[in-house]
Amino acid sequence: MAAKKAKEKKMPLFDRIIKPQHITLPNGHSVDRPRSRTPLILLCLVAVVAVSIYATGFSISTIIKRADQLPVIFGQILTPNWSFIGARVMPPLLETIQMSIVGTVAGCLIALPLSILSSANINRNRPTLLFFRLILSIIRSIPTLVYASILALIFALGAFAGTVAIMFFTLGIAAKMLYESIETIDMGPYEAMQSFGANTLQSFWAACWPQILPVYLDTCLYCFELNVRASAILGYVGAGGVGVLISDRTGLRKYHDVGAIVVTLFVVVFVIDLINDYLREKLKKRQ
Amino acid sequence: MEAVMNEHEEMKKTERTANGDVAGDILSRLESRVRVLEKLMSEPKMLWMRLLIFGIIAVIVYWGSSAITYNGITDRGSGIAVNVFKNLLNPDRELLFNLTRDGVPFLVLETIGIAVLGTVFGAILAIPISFLSATNIVPKGIAYLFRAIVLFIRTIPSLMWALIWIRVTGPGAFCGVTTQSICSIGMISKMYIMAIENLDTGILESLDACGCNTFEKIRVGIIPQLSASFISTAIYRFDINLKDATVLGIVGAGGIGSPLMQSISSFKYQRVAAFLWALVLLVVIIEWISTQIRARLAHGRS
Amino acid sequence: MIEFKNVSKVYPNGTRGLNQINLKIEQGEFLAIIGLSGAGKSTLIRTINRMIDITEGRLIVDDVDVMSLKGRQMRRYRRKVGMIFQSFNLVSRATVIRNVLTSNVPDMPFWKTFFGAYSTDQKIRALEALDKVNILDKAYHRCDELSGGQMQRVALARTLNQNPSIILADEPVASLDPIIADVVMSDFARINRDMNITILLNIHHVDLALKYATRVIGIRAGEIVYDGPTSEVTQEVLDMVYNGKAIPKTTDVENEELKEMVG
Repeated sequence: MAAKKAKEKKMPLFDRIIKPQHITLPNGHSVDRPRSRTPLILLCLVAVVAVSIYATGFSISTIIKRADQLPVIFGQILTPNWSFIGARVMPPLLETIQMSIVGTVAGCLIALPLSILSSANINRNRPTLLFFRLILSIIRSIPTLVYASILALIFALGAFAGTVAIMFFTLGIAAKMLYESIETIDMGPYEAMQSFGANTLQSFWAACWPQILPVYLDTCLYCFELNVRASAILGYVGAGGVGVLISDRTGLRKYHDVGAIVVTLFVVVFVIDLINDYLREKLKKRQ
Repeated sequence: MEAVMNEHEEMKKTERTANGDVAGDILSRLESRVRVLEKLMSEPKMLWMRLLIFGIIAVIVYWGSSAITYNGITDRGSGIAVNVFKNLLNPDRELLFNLTRDGVPFLVLETIGIAVLGTVFGAILAIPISFLSATNIVPKGIAYLFRAIVLFIRTIPSLMWALIWIRVTGPGAFCGVTTQSICSIGMISKMYIMAIENLDTGILESLDACGCNTFEKIRVGIIPQLSASFISTAIYRFDINLKDATVLGIVGAGGIGSPLMQSISSFKYQRVAAFLWALVLLVVIIEWISTQIRARLAHGRS
Repeated sequence: MIEFKNVSKVYPNGTRGLNQINLKIEQGEFLAIIGLSGAGKSTLIRTINRMIDITEGRLIVDDVDVMSLKGRQMRRYRRKVGMIFQSFNLVSRATVIRNVLTSNVPDMPFWKTFFGAYSTDQKIRALEALDKVNILDKAYHRCDELSGGQMQRVALARTLNQNPSIILADEPVASLDPIIADVVMSDFARINRDMNITILLNIHHVDLALKYATRVIGIRAGEIVYDGPTSEVTQEVLDMVYNGKAIPKTTDVENEELKEMVG
């Protein structure tokens, strides 16, 4: 009787409310088939979507009625003002890349110790583990733009504020990606190091670091890619780079110029992607 | 113990001497020594390669830092920094619990709404696009055409999309929804394509053997393989959309972003604090839930 | 000499891993510990280098009470005791020689470890260790390019490189196929004979244990039920150790592992 009660307690709430179907096979064995959760999930989803439509004022009919407005700016962006690229785009674009490089390097350097302290297999102390993870969560949850706008007020307008904002953004993502992969490394070599008398630091460096390094470099490259894309926006709040130009031109409604910027940005991001893919291939082979 | 070891070594040596095997022993030791030294000579020289790589990285970082000059803190800068931190613990309570359309609760709801609809529409739109871009479903030419379209959509920054849509929808959350729907397509379809191309077609063969028709094959053989990863991708994207929804606010696309940015630029720190608290809580909670759900999807119930 | 005096181990959840173990092992013995899975073979081996702490009794290794060691002292003690694992526990991304060199790490200042700056002398000794287990030619290969048997030999070289007087081996051949297992066991036997290193190994394959070990310990439910020279191990002894269940042989290993996985 007690055993049965314990078993019922273990059952998920859903199965206790909607009892599983009891199937008895011809040979006398029986099996419980839990009822499908799909209808319930679908119902919830429909409710959430309905509330969302109410909250955001979404309406299909407006889209259909005013669809003719869509190509107005779109068309202008699609016909870029090519002469604008050489004249004005290059210097701020370079600045964007420079900001991304420094921001990525700084962010990734700080992310490394934080991610090690946030890995459950290395930091065995539960309270500090949760503490570091909470800090990382908070850093991650604040949008880059908010960092940039606050920093732009604290430091002078310009590249420095943007770089620090990128650093925070990188720190947040890189640390999370890192601790997730650190948690999957093989701890056997660490155990072996301990068995022949190495201390914690020595064991970590000789047994875990070689496994973490390629993942770390990979994460840095990935973050750099993200940052080049993201830093295009930072200019909106005056934090330097090509974003300043974008917000400038949008304000003046010079969408042909904006188109030119977008095209250049696309090419640059594409080239960086290619370089990164090449480096990653190398990493895979070497490490 | 070393003494014991040495003693044993000695004993072994004497044994061997007794056997008259000294020459052979020395010879084999020498051979081993030669093998070891030869191997040592053949050690791959990594040092220069490493120094070169370090050098290149150092040059790149140096070049990067040349553009970023620290101009010190602005006159009001330190005051702002102090004020932001001071007021973090003293958020605008009136705003936090105000249930009108300007209050934090509604803005949070609106932000969630933008992310939900953006994700749902994006995920639905991505399904046909990703099937049409999967090389194992359609001819390569068509697949690459659709991939190029997806790449193009991804390239235009989300703020541009917001500007494009704002003429259709007018400013507000509606614009945020349409923008996010389009912007989500890029990443979602990239993940979907990967899932589709990794389909295990062996199952289709065995279903063929069972005599299933095309519809049955899709229902039994393909949907169960894809649904978990599709849902997982959508939830992951929901996470991202939630964060992006706040950014879209700066061009007037609704959500908690625009009042937050306004409060920052007008130095209303108590309001900033209220919005930041709401934002951090919202994102941390949603991220936690989505991680749990995705872990379940990946590893099954239990 | 290793001496267990009334040693018991009770795990925090109340399970008795070892019960009143009394055992004396002389320098240079080759001991095989046999018994069913969960009988306490691993626990017995791991108490010797304090990977597991005993809860009762005294464990004395070369006149040192092992339980009295702390921190740095214990780490220095562990330098003398090599350990081999079933899953090899090598850094698979690193080269073979790097793995062997890691056993020098405890004696080096940290900055040298940090930069991986090993001296030529250390490298020569590592290569010699590799030569002793006949795998010198793979020295600059990455470990993940090697087969299981080769990896276990690299692990053995890493242990030899720390110049131990005792080697503990926890199921060293359990993940190897029968032929390779035999080769690795003969490596153990040769090292035991040539270098006078005490070897204690846990082993599932009774046939290999009887072929190479000089002394056999049978463990059942945390207690020693047989302790004697290999030559005196009879069918009755094995029946007693294995509780009358089928005795694992090399060819049965897969079944045994299957059972372990299921159970």
